[in-house]
Amino acid sequence: MDFAANLTLSALGQQILVGLSRTTILFIVASGLSLVLGVLRIPNLAHGSLYMIGAFVTYSVAMALGGGAFGFWLALIVAPVLVAAVSFAVERGIFRHLYDREHLMLLLFTFSLTLVFNDMVKLIWGADYRSLSPPEVLKGFVTIFGLPFPRYNLFLLMLGPVVALGLWWLTNRTKIGKIARAAAVDREMVGAVGINVSRVFSSVFVIGCFLAGLGGALVAPTQNITQGMDHAIIIETFLIIIVGGLGNIWGALLGALIFGLTDSVGILICPQFAIVFPYAAVVTVLLVRPKGLLKSTW
Amino acid sequence: MLQVTALQKSFDGFMAVSDAHLHAAQGEITAVIGPNGAGKTTLFHLITGQITPDRGSIRFKDKDIVSLPPYAICRLGISRSYQVVNVFDRLDVFENVRVAVLSRQRRSFNLFANARRMAVKETREILQTVGLGDKAGRISGTLSHGDRKVLEIAVALGNRPELLILDEPTAGMSPEETEIVLQLMRRLRSEMGITLVFCEHDMEMVFTLADQIMVMQHGRTLIQDRPDAVRNHPEVRAAYLGDDEC
Amino acid sequence: MTQSRFQALVIPAVLLLALAFLPQFGTRFYIYLVSLILIQGLLATSLNLLLGFGGMYQFHHAVFYGTGAYATALVLTKTGSPAWVAFAAAPLAGGILSLLIGVVCVRLSKLYFGMLQISLGSLVWTIVYRWYNFTGGDDGIHGIPVPDAISSGVGAYYFTLAVTVVSLFILYRIIRSPFGMTFQAVRDNPVRCEAIGVNVRVHQLIGMVIAGAFAGIAGSLFVTVEGSVFPELMFWTLSLEILIMCLLGGWFTFFGPMLGAAVIVSLQTFVGIYTEYWTMVLGIVLMMLILLLPQGVLGFFMERWIKISRSEEN
Repeated sequence: MDFAANLTLSALGQQILVGLSRTTILFIVASGLSLVLGVLRIPNLAHGSLYMIGAFVTYSVAMALGGGAFGFWLALIVAPVLVAAVSFAVERGIFRHLYDREHLMLLLFTFSLTLVFNDMVKLIWGADYRSLSPPEVLKGFVTIFGLPFPRYNLFLLMLGPVVALGLWWLTNRTKIGKIARAAAVDREMVGAVGINVSRVFSSVFVIGCFLAGLGGALVAPTQNITQGMDHAIIIETFLIIIVGGLGNIWGALLGALIFGLTDSVGILICPQFAIVFPYAAVVTVLLVRPKGLLKSTW
Repeated sequence: MLQVTALQKSFDGFMAVSDAHLHAAQGEITAVIGPNGAGKTTLFHLITGQITPDRGSIRFKDKDIVSLPPYAICRLGISRSYQVVNVFDRLDVFENVRVAVLSRQRRSFNLFANARRMAVKETREILQTVGLGDKAGRISGTLSHGDRKVLEIAVALGNRPELLILDEPTAGMSPEETEIVLQLMRRLRSEMGITLVFCEHDMEMVFTLADQIMVMQHGRTLIQDRPDAVRNHPEVRAAYLGDDEC
Repeated sequence: MTQSRFQALVIPAVLLLALAFLPQFGTRFYIYLVSLILIQGLLATSLNLLLGFGGMYQFHHAVFYGTGAYATALVLTKTGSPAWVAFAAAPLAGGILSLLIGVVCVRLSKLYFGMLQISLGSLVWTIVYRWYNFTGGDDGIHGIPVPDAISSGVGAYYFTLAVTVVSLFILYRIIRSPFGMTFQAVRDNPVRCEAIGVNVRVHQLIGMVIAGAFAGIAGSLFVTVEGSVFPELMFWTLSLEILIMCLLGGWFTFFGPMLGAAVIVSLQTFVGIYTEYWTMVLGIVLMMLILLLPQGVLGFFMERWIKISRSEEN
């Protein structure tokens, strides 16, 4: 094999790894969205805003503590928790009263919410973009396939399975997960056997939004933290859960893999139109399987 | 006119219709009876193309209609009403029927004419026939249950069918309303020459109205014959009618 | 009956007269604002043909608007064709794209229709967003040579007004036509429609092509008024904004979306003058409206009006 072929092969291997680390973030955010959509039937467009808030809070907490490693790790916990707290207030204050509304109305309502959230971000953090560097241990590169690979992406790669396992445990092994899965299929039934559905819904909403915040926190060191980062993520994650099957967490994983991998491999094939690849992949899948790859709870 | 042979349909392993046979002669009224879950409504869905059979044949006027889409079957001359009222809730009564008439006249692709001036005479006649003439302007969602059931039939008549399939046309109606529908069905046959197939739980109505009765049980056709023959069929007596009812 | 007919004729006539004389007493700012309202109103009305009268979840309608705008812009900048070709290209491009997207979407049920539609629309957006040497990519195309007669603020306004009025008239006729009536029946009950001999999918496809073509026309009007195009014209956020216009104005009424467009565009503009944070105000107003008036502003008043006239009857 000549040198050029070797290079492309290792470049491909590396791009796949980059794609997989991107998949981690997409999966975290998309699984939260899918959880809320599947159980509460709310197409929550504000999910992207919560992701953005998560990123900004991570920046602020890390900076407030001097920008060091401790600040970053603390921010990684504080940001999702804060986002979860905000979402708890929103759920108790507003969404609780809207569960029986038409989906279209809910969609528009959450869209209005994004307008409010986005201006709140502008109000607090201003219109400038921010950037955050990862802590010392995760800075720099390791060599994989003979090419430098960012340590932080390696960290994301290892985190992905942990989060997936945690979600599996939550939905299959905990009481609230089991009830939530049952409620996703038949809400009246669960209510009829005397379970407090309202509390389950509230918990699921908060967990889903926590995941949005976590995704935002994790993405913070990898890109500019900016107004408008919510717009990109929300359409991407929506397509991911559509392709995976609405409300199905493993569908979200599958969709995130498709999206992340086609995106990063697309950069090798045709950098200019790299962004087109994941969208084209989604459309291709939907043309064959309009209801998504895995079983939808809808 | 209609000839259904050895029809079969299963959903996820559940055999809804396993071996259905039905023939309806021109100008006759044929009733389909059987207990709940015998597969009567599924049979009607199969005939009108809403679902496709796994096996068997359906011939209408000597033409094979299996696997035709519902709209094509309707255009051949088969109309139906539904057991659960299934009309256009936000349109008024007149418009409900007019849509069917326009469809039959193949004018539904006309983009620029004023629909308010079209199909007026025919629509009015149909509403007169079924006795909804004075309620033409009401939004159909606001009608009483009985009127909505009648509107069901009126919409089906808009297609000027040769064969009309009625799925429990009097379900949930008062005795007076039932009598009106009964008279209407007689008139549809005698005045308009429409062939009728219907299913019904009201045995009195079935035996006074039908020329032929087909009995279904567990998705199978037990027998199809004249009412008196059905009444005296031992298996039917045992399985369905119960001796005391005759 | 005669009174409501009178109202139905007089109100639009007065409004039209006011709009026709607007440039005589309005400032440039108002002329521009009303132009925008007319364009977005036409766009929302074309969406509502599908949403309110066809019961179809067209989630990504802005794609056809953007496509129309780009079609006009590209013909004007890249070819030497006469201007009418550029304006004819808009509905043509919008209609053809609608046909392509529609063919694969109409076989699906309501929700899945909407989801495939938004995916396809987003795909179109990504291509436009990145195709620098054809569409100008994320920069868009600026300084488009609009014909002199309609390039000034007032000229563009009259052109927009005329095209919008004619388009609305045609759309109104379509809704009142046998096709429109059948389309509403499809909205209420597609299964029954099939059973009365209506080929539902073909009707939905025709509806989509019509809506796409008129969205394209609205796009070409945008080029006339702004002289530029950019990918945001077909971004999903705009699709949601026009969806809001329909629901806000009342989606079972014909003029509701136009009213919704007037409310939203005015809110954007006037609140934008006072505060940088106008989207927050818009968001809060929208939330209140959704909470308090689920059937839309015009729908709300229509319902009250019907109730009043009913009680007078009795």
